[in-house]
Amino acid sequence: MERMLRQVGADTLSWLQGLGRATVMWIRAAYRVPKPSDWMLVIRQVYSIGVLSMAIIVLSAFAIGSVIALQFYTQLARFGAEDAVGVGLALVLLRELGPVVTALLFAGRAGSAITAEIGLMKTTEQLSIMEMMGVDPLRRIVAPRLWGGIISMPLLTLMFNTVAIYGGVVVAVHWLGADSGGFWSGMQNAVELWDDLGKGMIKSVVFAVVVTWIAVYQGYDCEPTAEGMGLATTRTVVMSSVLILAFDFFLTLLMYGDFR
Amino acid sequence: MRMRTIEISVGAFVLAGMLAAVFLVVQVSGINVSQSEQTYKLSARFDDVAGLRIRSKVSMAGVTIGRVTDIAVDTEFGEAIVTLEIDGAPGGLTADTGAKILTEGMLGARYIGLIPGADEEMLADGDEIIETQGAIVLENLIGQFLSNMGK
Amino acid sequence: MESEYLIEIEDLCLTRGEKVVFDGLTMRVPRGGITAVMGPSGTGKTTLLRVIGGQVRPDRGSVRLNGADVCRMSRAELFRARRDIGMLFQSSALFTDMDVFENVAFPMRVHTDLPEDTIRDLVIMKLNAVGLRGARDLMPSQLSGGMARRVALARAIALDPDLIMYDEPFTGQDPIAMGVILELIKQLNDALGASSLLVSHDIHETVEIADYVFVLADGKVIGEGAPKELQQHQNRRISQFMRGDPDGPVPFHYPADDLQYDLLSEAG
Ligand SMILES: Nc1ncnc2c1ncn2[C@@H]1O[C@H](COP(=O)(O)OP(=O)(O)OP(=O)(O)O)[C@@H](O)[C@H]1O
Ligand SMILES: [Mg+2]
Repeated sequence: MERMLRQVGADTLSWLQGLGRATVMWIRAAYRVPKPSDWMLVIRQVYSIGVLSMAIIVLSAFAIGSVIALQFYTQLARFGAEDAVGVGLALVLLRELGPVVTALLFAGRAGSAITAEIGLMKTTEQLSIMEMMGVDPLRRIVAPRLWGGIISMPLLTLMFNTVAIYGGVVVAVHWLGADSGGFWSGMQNAVELWDDLGKGMIKSVVFAVVVTWIAVYQGYDCEPTAEGMGLATTRTVVMSSVLILAFDFFLTLLMYGDFR
Repeated sequence: MRMRTIEISVGAFVLAGMLAAVFLVVQVSGINVSQSEQTYKLSARFDDVAGLRIRSKVSMAGVTIGRVTDIAVDTEFGEAIVTLEIDGAPGGLTADTGAKILTEGMLGARYIGLIPGADEEMLADGDEIIETQGAIVLENLIGQFLSNMGK
Repeated sequence: MESEYLIEIEDLCLTRGEKVVFDGLTMRVPRGGITAVMGPSGTGKTTLLRVIGGQVRPDRGSVRLNGADVCRMSRAELFRARRDIGMLFQSSALFTDMDVFENVAFPMRVHTDLPEDTIRDLVIMKLNAVGLRGARDLMPSQLSGGMARRVALARAIALDPDLIMYDEPFTGQDPIAMGVILELIKQLNDALGASSLLVSHDIHETVEIADYVFVLADGKVIGEGAPKELQQHQNRRISQFMRGDPDGPVPFHYPADDLQYDLLSEAG
């Protein structure tokens, strides 16, 4: 019993230590506004983090959008409420699925790649030699990836939502024959710019910070061995996914919860 | 050079994101232009507003003409005081306009329906709607029904 | 006031994990010459270079570089000071996402505002010096181990640093490349007046170019002097090492239990 308590204490302390180190890393990497020459590095990261994730985002978005539309349509058609397909689809996507699914896919596609890349650089002493050359790897390697991820994810979420809604239109309107006018006007009446789109995008920005931060830190802090890198990559995906879902719950509670 | 391709595709990526944003703002949320126009406030007392929320619709003849901006309680009389924001300039609603709490569909969201009156005078900014009918609470109805059956 | 010594290490103590790597090490590296550090594998030669570069903080003691204590420098000062240091790692540590040309150009790009043509000319000269001008478009994964070391060497000297630290520059080089690198180190030293700190196990090469040698063992300097002197040293430990005799007081094995004991207890 005492040993268990001691173990819990030790785990908590090392967890806190990890959080502390991650925070120091974050502050050191990002406290300065990037110089114009650093922007080239950020652009390169937006490319490898964002542009290269587009394919999977667009494909999944289309699939998810059309499946939701199909489900809603078959259920709602029984009450003659086909017009509500657009409303349901848009609200589900903008508020929840868009930000969450994009973040989960992003963690699997880009997060793991970031961790593996930085971990490899550490393992092969590239970070170390960079330090010895008088170049701070936090500025050169870590910061551009942080910014790249934070810029990319909200853009990917916007694309996800758009493509998923398009997928819904294809299924509900073009295929199943729901009325196009009812679909759009129902959506436009119910969807609020700030309440649905805006708050969804806030979620996306929060997820972007969480996922890229975890990915970069896990790479930067990994044990410099092949095994350590593998572990770090797995941890990035697992931790990101858990935290995305947890943050989603609390953000939903915070932004949509009505406690009256 | 390779960097050029990267820059071009990042440019395209950002552009795609912004177009998506425009699509979502214009086509999906269909920005409520009327919101920026002039509005005025009315208040109404209900004996029960269960299910009504801030931002719930206020409509007349099925057309949305405003929204709920505040719900307070008057503990002395056990009544809810609801503040409504009506689009347009005051003068469109008669002084004996009635307000009813209705439900969209069977189990849908609550909203306030306004019933036009026949008075000569019009409601002005800050006036109160007198004729009101609160929410029909399903549990109460069932309770009444059961107690009637028992008689 | 410029001291006669470029690097002054005083009473350095460092423990990594369980192992005591340095235990009161004191050494002074003179300015302008080629100084070699030798010693059995695992005595902490690589670690010593990292301490001098400020990457590993010692538990105790001071390390002065040009009179400034490396251990007391702020992060920014340290990064500033490192610009004048070139270092060749034991693993070549080339940047895997850049080709050979960009690897060598990297220090110039980040630390200078030279125009693109000048950088190009300089990089080609450095690559020519290590015999790899023709390999400039290859990626690090396409290089052999020996070639990678030479690219790393070209990168280490890219900014003509005041102090160059070489961690085993000769390993994996064929005899011709070895001769070229030897020549290069000497040349850099003579032409640019740079100081070199060289870690190497190749006794012949080291004896040939080093002006001064430190022999490390057990976390201390056990001998120092001109290479020829050390080979004739009365201390058998030093002369054994400097001549490469397999038997002698310097243990070949990492400290361990008795072999017989280890073999017999294997089932445990
Ligand atoms: N990160 C570390 N954690 C624990 N021990 C370490 C660490 N790095 C090095 N050591 C230990 O420090 C000692 C010195 O290592 P170092 O790499 O400096 O040796 P070396 O003299 O360069 O050997 P070689 O000639 O084989 O390159 C070794 O015994 C090693 O086990
Ligand atoms: Mg070594």
